[in-house]
Amino acid sequence: MIETRDLSKSFGPVQVLRSVSFSLHDGETLVVMGRSGCGKSVVLKHLIGLMKPDSGDVLVDGESIVGLPERKLTDVRRKIGMLFQSAALFDSMSVGENLAFPLREQGVHDEKEINTRIAEALEMVDLPGEEEKMPADLSGGMRKRVGLARTIIGRPRVILYDEPTTGLDPVTSDSINHLIRRLQRRLRVTSIVVTHDMKTAFHCADRVTFLHEGRAHFTGPIAEFRDSTDPVLADFIQGRSGDTD
Amino acid sequence: MFTAIGRNTFSFLGYAGEVAQLFRDTVISMFVAPIRWRLAFQQIVEIGARSQLVVIVTGAFTGAVFAAQLFFQLRGFGMESTVGSVTAVAMFRELAPALTGLMVAGRVGAAIAAEIGTMKVTEQIDALRSLGVHPTDYLVVPRTIAMMISMPLLVGEACMLSLISAYLVSVPLLGVSEPHYLRNLYQWVTLFDVYKALIKGFLFGIIIVFVASHEGLKTTNGAAGVGKAPTEAVVISSLAILAANFILTFLLNIFLPAGSS
Repeated sequence: MIETRDLSKSFGPVQVLRSVSFSLHDGETLVVMGRSGCGKSVVLKHLIGLMKPDSGDVLVDGESIVGLPERKLTDVRRKIGMLFQSAALFDSMSVGENLAFPLREQGVHDEKEINTRIAEALEMVDLPGEEEKMPADLSGGMRKRVGLARTIIGRPRVILYDEPTTGLDPVTSDSINHLIRRLQRRLRVTSIVVTHDMKTAFHCADRVTFLHEGRAHFTGPIAEFRDSTDPVLADFIQGRSGDTD
Repeated sequence: MFTAIGRNTFSFLGYAGEVAQLFRDTVISMFVAPIRWRLAFQQIVEIGARSQLVVIVTGAFTGAVFAAQLFFQLRGFGMESTVGSVTAVAMFRELAPALTGLMVAGRVGAAIAAEIGTMKVTEQIDALRSLGVHPTDYLVVPRTIAMMISMPLLVGEACMLSLISAYLVSVPLLGVSEPHYLRNLYQWVTLFDVYKALIKGFLFGIIIVFVASHEGLKTTNGAAGVGKAPTEAVVISSLAILAANFILTFLLNIFLPAGSS
């Protein structure tokens, strides 16, 4: 479904990704983990063409998207929805208008259908009847839910989650984790979740790719990741920095 | 010193190239993507209707002050009846387009840069792209269309108000003979002067919208970047308007010679 081949990316003198390769299969949930600043979000943005790699390739349904101009990426982007770390709601629009936006862009103009699909999407993220609120009136958790509703309303085949629980309290994080899992079951979508939250990983992942020093240090099933004796993985899972007081 | 001059020259050329690239993308977008007229009309309201106060005050008071100063200067030569024509020529050819451009750069240019800059740092522009919407189609084209329509109208309005205020100051207030005032006005102000005002207004609007949009789209560094973008947009577009005004004065005089109609 989605595959990266030897993806490399630098920002100025800093090389963030060094030949990162992994693949994502239909229907599975891959969690991309790693320490802060290791390039997890950068990988995600390459998968939807928001960034271009210095070298390497990204294949969606077997076709390279790296060389495609911005306007040719529209078809690829309609297959893939993305939940941004900040939710990235359009703050000049109400919740309902935010959700209607992707539908209108896809050519849906029947107001009755738009309203029905908005209500369905809000129901799925446990925020029924919140169409009239403005993004500024929402809490962090509600913003993420509305962002997720906007992502799923266009019925993508793949959903990319960029740090879905960052900045949320543990209870709200747990409810977002359950929401991700529930949507996977209900919509049967393929998912990539970028996170450094172990609870999210253990709750949502079928497989894990762990980025370390710009490379895909580990890719494998979640059980294998959890039981690994590799010191880099073990330190990350246990939250050990190696520093002393 | 030569190194500094070279560096600044390259920096200026690089910046001009980036703005030119945005201009090219916008022109392409106008032809290959559907134009979002609803957004363009919203921007016309934002740019045109909400700039009324600054344009009215700028046009009216500049015309009034210019007429008063000319009257005090020309009265000694017995030429006070030319106040209206000189004010009108100066306002149409130079002052109304340049001052309206500077005022709109300050009000609208800053707002465009701040709004687009905020969208950039809060990932809203990435969200647009991820939803299959080209940021130029959605953000730049409607503002460009609105500016192309609004700026000539605003400049025309400033010219008209300066004519009225100059008349009110000269004739009822300072006692200039009305028939002589109007005869000089009709004799010396031509249709070419009106064209020059509108063309300059149109081109200054283009400068403002592309500089401001470019500053917004290249915003980085969070709140600090969003704070910097409007300032840069106003400074750069104001300087560009003043420099372009000088060049346009000579260019337009070739195609629309002064004193002809």
